[in-house]
Amino acid sequence: MKELLNELLKEDKAFIHIPYGNGLFDLYKSVVVTWIILGVLFLLILFLTRDFKVHNISKRQAAVESFVLWIRGVTGGMLGEEAIRYQDYLAVVLIFIAASNMIGLFGFTPPTMDLTVTVALSLMSIILVEAAGLRKKGLGKWFKGFAEPMPVIAPMNVLELAIRPLSLCMRLFGNILGATVIMELIKHVAPVIFPALLSVYFDIFDGAIQAYVFVFLTSLYIKEAVE
Amino acid sequence: MLNISILSIGCTIFNLLLLFFVAKKFLFGRVDAVIAKRMEEVDDATRSADEAAHKALTTQVEYENKIAEIDAQKETIISDIKKQGYVEYERIVSDAKKKGEQIIMEARHNAEVENERAKEVYAAQLTDMVIDAASKIAATKHSSEDDMKLYDKFIVEAGVNNE
Repeated sequence: MKELLNELLKEDKAFIHIPYGNGLFDLYKSVVVTWIILGVLFLLILFLTRDFKVHNISKRQAAVESFVLWIRGVTGGMLGEEAIRYQDYLAVVLIFIAASNMIGLFGFTPPTMDLTVTVALSLMSIILVEAAGLRKKGLGKWFKGFAEPMPVIAPMNVLELAIRPLSLCMRLFGNILGATVIMELIKHVAPVIFPALLSVYFDIFDGAIQAYVFVFLTSLYIKEAVE
Repeated sequence: MLNISILSIGCTIFNLLLLFFVAKKFLFGRVDAVIAKRMEEVDDATRSADEAAHKALTTQVEYENKIAEIDAQKETIISDIKKQGYVEYERIVSDAKKKGEQIIMEARHNAEVENERAKEVYAAQLTDMVIDAASKIAATKHSSEDDMKLYDKFIVEAGVNNE
């Protein structure tokens, strides 16, 4: 068991090791997996959206259209009217995280189990949140926003700039790591039937929930920023 | 486990942005284009329907005006015809009157002529009778007695003829 966990948690994440900066510039395996996910998603998008028609639409087109409207409704509903312009980005993030979380079903290590990917995602989120606030309020009002509701808590508000993305990336990373570790342990203890049943929960359900939570919190922050 | 790599973070951000732009262009863009086109068609249909309704209304008003005009024309024509009819009636009646008067006059004239003719015939008969009587008187020798008888006979004869 210990070897298993060691193998899972302490394995070398580097796909290409660059002998400079003490591993800071390595290309990790998780990035390669995201390339695979991206490739699959590109092919899927290009296949599903080819020869769209205005009338007499195919079932494929109807499904794609209703999916797009549905996922926009989900993210748009969380963002509110003022920040509705960011709904497409958040929909893409939702699809990306959900696909990353569920790729464990196909035998890959989920990229979201790597801190690097979740750090990148939460960096993008906090940049988007602050950019949305800046765009909406302007520089002066945005700075003043740190002293609200009262100037005393300004340090807290500044700290939030770091705390929010940290919590976002740690939550996603921890959940997916935990789910994967538990799945590995179950596979080790009871290799028949149980892994298949429980992977429905840990891979599909938990993966979708974590993707939703990430997008939900990001849109909450954006909504707060543009108010 | 917790070590991170700047290059990998950069690559992930790049991947995410790439996915976003591809999805924006192909997935959302294509769906939006179709929906926009559909919306445009609906707008067009609504606009043309509005136009058609407006046109129909205009045409209706036009027709109503025309019908009113025609009604007015009809009234004029009927009154004209009525007037003409009265004139014709008057003419016919007056013609008939004239004719009737003429007929009456002619009848009167004919009656007078007949009367005259009858009178003449009667006078001629009287003359014949007088001549007859005179010749009878002349032919027979007569006394005053005979004369008296003759007078009586003449009177009786004249009375019979006159009846």
